[in-house]
Amino acid sequence: MISRRHFLSIAAPALALSGYPVHGFTKEPIEGRIIVIMLQGGMDGLLAIPPVGDDNLFKQRKALVASNPLKLNPLFGIHPNFRNFSKMLKSNEASIVHATSFPYTGRSHFEGQNIAQSGSKLPFSTNTGWLGRAMDFAKITGKALSLDAPLLIRGAPEFDNFYPANIEKTRSPQTALIDLIKETHDGDVMIAIDKLSRGSMSRPSRLRARDPLSLATKAGESMRELNGPRVAVLTIPEFDDHSSIGSTTGHHPELFTLLDNVFYNLKTALKEQWDNTIVLTTTEFGRTVQENGSAGTDHGYGSVGLLAGGLINKSSVVANWPGLASKDLYEKRDLFATIDYRSVCSACIEAAFGLEHDFIIEKVFEDKKIARIYEHIFG
Amino acid sequence: MYKNKHQWARKIGFGFRPDDNIPLDINAWNTDQLNNEFPSLGLNKVGLWPEKYNFSIKQRLERLDKHITYRNKVQAENIDRQEKNKRVRASKEEANVDKYDVYKLWNSAIYDNDIFKQRLLHFWTNHFTVGGSNGFRNFVIGDLIHNVIYKNLNGSFDDLLYLVTTHPGMLDYLDNQTSIGENSIEAKSRRKKGKHAGLNDNLARELLELHTVSPARKYSETDIRNTAKVLAGWGLFVGDFIELFNNHKKWKNISGNTKLEEFVLEPYIKRRAEPGKKVVMGKTFPSGPKALRKLTNMLANDDFTAQHLSKKLAIHFIGENASKDEVKIIYDTWKKSNGDLAEVHRATLKVAQATKTRKFLWPSTWMFQSIRVSGARFIKNVKSDGGFGRIQDNGRPVYEPKGILDEIGHNFWASRQPDGYSEKKLDWVSTEHLDRRIRIASRIFRAGASRSGEEIADLLDFSDRTKLAISKGRNSKEKFIIALCSSDFMEV
Repeated sequence: MISRRHFLSIAAPALALSGYPVHGFTKEPIEGRIIVIMLQGGMDGLLAIPPVGDDNLFKQRKALVASNPLKLNPLFGIHPNFRNFSKMLKSNEASIVHATSFPYTGRSHFEGQNIAQSGSKLPFSTNTGWLGRAMDFAKITGKALSLDAPLLIRGAPEFDNFYPANIEKTRSPQTALIDLIKETHDGDVMIAIDKLSRGSMSRPSRLRARDPLSLATKAGESMRELNGPRVAVLTIPEFDDHSSIGSTTGHHPELFTLLDNVFYNLKTALKEQWDNTIVLTTTEFGRTVQENGSAGTDHGYGSVGLLAGGLINKSSVVANWPGLASKDLYEKRDLFATIDYRSVCSACIEAAFGLEHDFIIEKVFEDKKIARIYEHIFG
Repeated sequence: MYKNKHQWARKIGFGFRPDDNIPLDINAWNTDQLNNEFPSLGLNKVGLWPEKYNFSIKQRLERLDKHITYRNKVQAENIDRQEKNKRVRASKEEANVDKYDVYKLWNSAIYDNDIFKQRLLHFWTNHFTVGGSNGFRNFVIGDLIHNVIYKNLNGSFDDLLYLVTTHPGMLDYLDNQTSIGENSIEAKSRRKKGKHAGLNDNLARELLELHTVSPARKYSETDIRNTAKVLAGWGLFVGDFIELFNNHKKWKNISGNTKLEEFVLEPYIKRRAEPGKKVVMGKTFPSGPKALRKLTNMLANDDFTAQHLSKKLAIHFIGENASKDEVKIIYDTWKKSNGDLAEVHRATLKVAQATKTRKFLWPSTWMFQSIRVSGARFIKNVKSDGGFGRIQDNGRPVYEPKGILDEIGHNFWASRQPDGYSEKKLDWVSTEHLDRRIRIASRIFRAGASRSGEEIADLLDFSDRTKLAISKGRNSKEKFIIALCSSDFMEV
């Protein structure tokens, strides 16, 4: 990982921010929104954002490079399926962070997913998520677009989830009944039933679609509302492509298209609130640099983070590129992560919630060594 | 302690139906749960699950092969695309037997009398997760559940581990059918043609991490890779299993099990296997198909496997706050019996009977218990002539059994991650999950429940707080829903 000291020395001048402090530790009253898209299974960052300027890419990978990536700068290209995201890059509404990871090298999905959500260094060591803790400090509500409430958002003062039921001949339960059920419960179940009772997050009546694209639209719409949630969490599963991952076309590229359309739907549904929004992806790890025996890639380390939203002022590809020669790889097989992804999370919290970087790393991540890369991402 | 027999039957099973015979001697019943065969009597008293709806792995793969042959034929025909899709869909629906498998899981949970074994079946099915797919894996998942896991619940863990690891469904789910030894004949031949070939470590990694020793064992990336080398050569795509078997047989790549019924049990392709010795966690394994059994035996008998699985069993039956002492009783039994599952399961029963810890039930466990304890006819008992299909609502078919499991987020045929469903309470607590439980409870009420909310509360010794809430329900339906959605029913 790049050290805090080193990174500060190459950081651009601090962005001038104005506004009125509302809490002791916030610096301006922005009504920012954060949307996290969890890419479950481990996205292949080298297929999504190929470092086409690094000759070793083609030496290490024969098949798994798209034949026609769009060029972003001399080093990086982007898979052609990111059509909307590429437009956002052009209009200074998106940034990319490459060769990055949460501080986890174990290559287990389940430990890695836990760490990407908890933000701690040890798997299964806490019951709250980094986003939930940040929401708690900033007194912000949010919503998960899934049947369950993911760890990422737990710890928030108020969070809810949305996932429309599809059980024929049933309707939303009545408040009086829910309140009686609530009387029999304590703790977390009681709190969840209470939310159900209050319908605090405007429960929809008829909407049935619950694919990522429909959920993205729903998220954008509800976050646009006055007093709507300011945080949303979405999951796109099935990135665990050990075989036949695809290059120009194939399963991973199909997922890129889906992710790209999720970005588009969020922007479209958020309308004017897009200006106050930052969307970021997370994934538990990247994949091996070389393809395995079955035209797929196995569990690796460094990957890529995609960010979009009106809170970005100037697009950039942020990377401290470690190189792809075999000697430069982590354990001679994986892309090294030279940026701690918690730096990216911290920057997003700073941008959307107005918390100070030092406060975020100390209170949310409990690690004072996390570098500030805010200006690199947001311009 | 579980003095109330009805609560005890929920702690380790799915509860007693109103028409079940309540055992006089609960200890004898406990032992019987593991040792005896229990016919599936149920409402219509039709006896055992009809033999014609039991399908062997060979039958399943043959049905799939027939479907694919038909599909290829239809797709080559010069007809309208919609008509093609219609025919292919109908052929797949006819060929696939997962509807029977799902129905059997429901039927057994709701009507069978070996309720502890049924709960163990759900536990082990989750431990050895094989995610479903819209493709072809769903043809074989039911075989893993009903024919492999259920039939080995009283055997040794090393047998179960080997049978699951070599099951065509597991090999397909974790990509092992694509893993080719780097020095195998197949890899050499592919390289000559300029093609890439090598290992895929997906199954190897999960075999160590999830199925046996867990990361606590601190094995290395080399151990994973060498495990993948032992596994290379095992498995074929489920979709074209039969066709590939015939091809490999023709080219003499299969040694030993040249009959299909033998090969499906040990699907090993010599041509794809990695030659030479392999070292995993300090132990050397020879080349050839026998190495895998030696490897799974070593993993099954590792101390970390005993620790990992004793804890998992305790968490499942006792609750996530199971104490170290409780885990230790199961662990000691595991060690003493060398992973004899009958002994281990009996120890689990013993610990569960004495515990004060409560478990927040999985959504499906809660649902099956709700149906069973209330005596509802949510699903018809299977008739000897079939009668499968949708779940009945006042005599009309309404729900797909698999669809309902999807709605509550707990479907063993769904596409999901290999770590299976969580045992943590908080992972099942959300407004949407609770909304689903209330909706399901309201459907169960309509499905001919014979016990009222008050009767359930008395039967199960609910707290005064819950009884008071039930009494405030405005009608019998509300009272019923409050009883099933109360903390007393959700946690046992």
